[in-house]
Amino acid sequence: MSAEPQARAPRSLADGFGRLIVLVYVVFAVSAGARAGYQVATKFGDAPVSFTLSAVAAAIYLVAAVAIIRGAARTALAAVGIELVGVLAVGALSFADPGWFPEPSVWSHFGSGYGYVPLVLPVVGLVYLIKRRRSS
Amino acid sequence: MIEWLYLAAQAAALAMSAWFFVETARSQRVGRRHFVGVGVLEAVLLAQLVVGIAMVPGEAGGGKALFFSYLVTALLVPVAAAFWGSIDRSRWGIGTVAASGVVVAALLLRIHQIWEFQIHVG
Repeated sequence: MSAEPQARAPRSLADGFGRLIVLVYVVFAVSAGARAGYQVATKFGDAPVSFTLSAVAAAIYLVAAVAIIRGAARTALAAVGIELVGVLAVGALSFADPGWFPEPSVWSHFGSGYGYVPLVLPVVGLVYLIKRRRSS
Repeated sequence: MIEWLYLAAQAAALAMSAWFFVETARSQRVGRRHFVGVGVLEAVLLAQLVVGIAMVPGEAGGGKALFFSYLVTALLVPVAAAFWGSIDRSRWGIGTVAASGVVVAALLLRIHQIWEFQIHVG
């Protein structure tokens, strides 16, 4: 989509509200990624499950951001879908079996350490992507 | 950290965010006055960075690299958002810059925690 000439091209996924979503995804990819990288490098043994999951979350945020910027609607939908499943599964697991999470991951307790944005973000993202797909 | 300067930075971030969300509701395009608003926030954050450079190295605790990485990130986010938002033709151009103010407020909260519990100890 981004390869088409701008003038008549249909609105790209990263236009409008998508622009705000991309900003949040990039911020989360960078902050979760930098933090997980630091944790894996310095103290991986303290909470291997948490830090690995944080790194996975950061990677998914990055994929979602790039997919929305490039207009890859299906990749974006897949990434955001996996993200929602991930935050729900890890969130539930962190309550069910806290022993696995001596230190929190991004998705622990449904993202409570990040103001629950990790839980809200994929829901908002899915609604946006599905709406855009219907309208095109 | 100087407490009043920290509170001033929080106020600047949240005020900018609130103002820009009002502009979002009014469907305003990103304009010169908005860049001035971002500039004011950046000036306060820059003052925060200068104060940090002056105060943090002399403190006893750890977490100093973390402190500065958060602070530099807080400085970069509104600028990046202003450019990213300014190329949008819809209301969400300024809405994106508004969201960056919330991000800065969250980062400042974390910076303040690092200062209170890790750096400014003993």
